[in-house]
Amino acid sequence: MKIKILQQPDCAIARVTLETREELVAEAGAMVAMSESINTSTTLRQGKGGGILGGLKRMVAGESLFLSVFRSPISGGEVFLAPKLLGDILHYQVAGSGLVVQATSYLASHSDVDIDLGFQGFKSLFSGENIFWLDLSGQGDVLINSFGGIYEVDVKDEYIVDTGHIVAFEKTLNFEITKSGSSWIGAFLGGEGLVCRFRGQGKLYCQTHNSTAFGQLVGPRLPAKES
Amino acid sequence: MEYEIRYKPAFATLFMTLQPGDSIIAEAGAMVGMEGKVSIKTTFSGGFFSAFIKNLLGGESLFVNTFTNKTNQPLEVVLSQATIGDIVAVELQRGQELCFQPGAYIASSKAVKLGVGWAGLASWFAREGLFKLKVTGPGLVFFGAYGGITPKQITQEFIVDNGHLVAYEPGIKMGVGLAGGLLGSLTSGEGFINKLRGNGVIYLQSRSIDGLVKFLSPKCR
Repeated sequence: MKIKILQQPDCAIARVTLETREELVAEAGAMVAMSESINTSTTLRQGKGGGILGGLKRMVAGESLFLSVFRSPISGGEVFLAPKLLGDILHYQVAGSGLVVQATSYLASHSDVDIDLGFQGFKSLFSGENIFWLDLSGQGDVLINSFGGIYEVDVKDEYIVDTGHIVAFEKTLNFEITKSGSSWIGAFLGGEGLVCRFRGQGKLYCQTHNSTAFGQLVGPRLPAKES
Repeated sequence: MEYEIRYKPAFATLFMTLQPGDSIIAEAGAMVGMEGKVSIKTTFSGGFFSAFIKNLLGGESLFVNTFTNKTNQPLEVVLSQATIGDIVAVELQRGQELCFQPGAYIASSKAVKLGVGWAGLASWFAREGLFKLKVTGPGLVFFGAYGGITPKQITQEFIVDNGHLVAYEPGIKMGVGLAGGLLGSLTSGEGFINKLRGNGVIYLQSRSIDGLVKFLSPKCR
C-alpha cells in the first residue's frame, strides 16, 4: 500500500495505491475517486469484536461507523480519499500499543488494523459532547483528518488539550479528564470547560481548529429544518 | 514572550512561548493546548461592570483566561479562534488604542488594558453592536478573522460592507449609508453600508460569516 497526501494542508486529499488483493477500509463517503478495477463493499465495521454483541454495544451507545472496503484485484489500483471539511490529513503507522482516534477524525486504514469502537476511557465524562473514540491496534497504515492543521506534540512530561482539539493519541499516554485551571468555577466560566491532561511518553495529535465551535458560530443563524 | 503564527492564512494558530514569569491573557475558549505546568486564572474581562456590558451588548465573552508561567523553564501555549482564517499581531505603543468588532479579539499581553467603548447607534444599525471592545497599549494584541485580514489606511471617508470590518483605530467613526441610492442598494445586494469617517488604519476580513450564512440558508431544507 502506497500513500501520498496531496494539497496539504488546507484541502488535503490522500491517494492510496493498492497491491494485488490488498484491502483499504475507509469512512463511508470519504471516497472521491477510484480506479475502475476496485471492488467495494460496505460494512458496519471490520475487525475483531464485531458480531451481534458488538452491534448491540453500538446501538446502546448510539455509536456506529459505516465503513467502505476497497479491494484491488490487481496491483496499482488507486483510491482517492478526502474528508468533508477543510483541513489536513495525517499518515500514521499503527504498531505496538496502538492509537486512539476521535471518530470524526478517522479517515481510512489498512485492513490489518483493527478498529474497536467506543473506547471506554473517556466515555461517561464526554456524555455532553457528541464525540466518541476509536481504538486502533494491530499493524499498518492509518489516515487521520483534522479541521484545520494538525500539530504533533511529543509528550514527555505533561500536556493539556481542549477536548474539541484532540485528533489522536498513542496509547502509551495516560490521560485524565480534568478542569483547565485550579478551580472548577474558573474552568467552566473561562470557556475551556473540561480539558484532557496527558501524562507519560508518546505522541499526541491536535487540530488547530474545533469543528464544533465553528458549527456553533454558524449553525444557530441558519433556518430551522422543515420537518 | 515569543510567538509564532503558524498555518497562515487559512488556519492561523498562535504558538506562544512563555518565558518564566510571562503571562498572556486570552479570550475564553481560545486555548487549544498547552504544557501541563502553565497556570490558568479566570477573571472578568476588564473588571466586572465592563465585562457585563461587553457580554450583554457587545457579544464578547464575560471572562478571560490569564496563562502564567510560574516555573523556571519556557512553556508553550497554543491559542486559536472558532472561525477558520487569519490572525494578526499588533504592537501597541503606550496609550495607543484599537477597537474590535465582536469576536475578533483573541489574546493580549498583560499590560494591555481591555475596555468597552460606546460604538454608537450607527454601529448598532449596521449590526455591529452598540458597544465595542477597546484595547489600550502598551503591549501586543492578537486578533483574528474569518478569511484573510487586510489593513487599510483611510483618510476622510471609506465604505465597508457589513460584516467585513474586524478592527479599527479609535479616531474612526461609523455612519450608516445606502450603497448608491435606495433602488441601487436593494438591487445590488449591498443593502446598508458602513460609512467610516476619520484618519487611521482599519482591518478588513476577506470573507464574512454573514455571507456564509446567506449562502447556506437556502440549502437548509
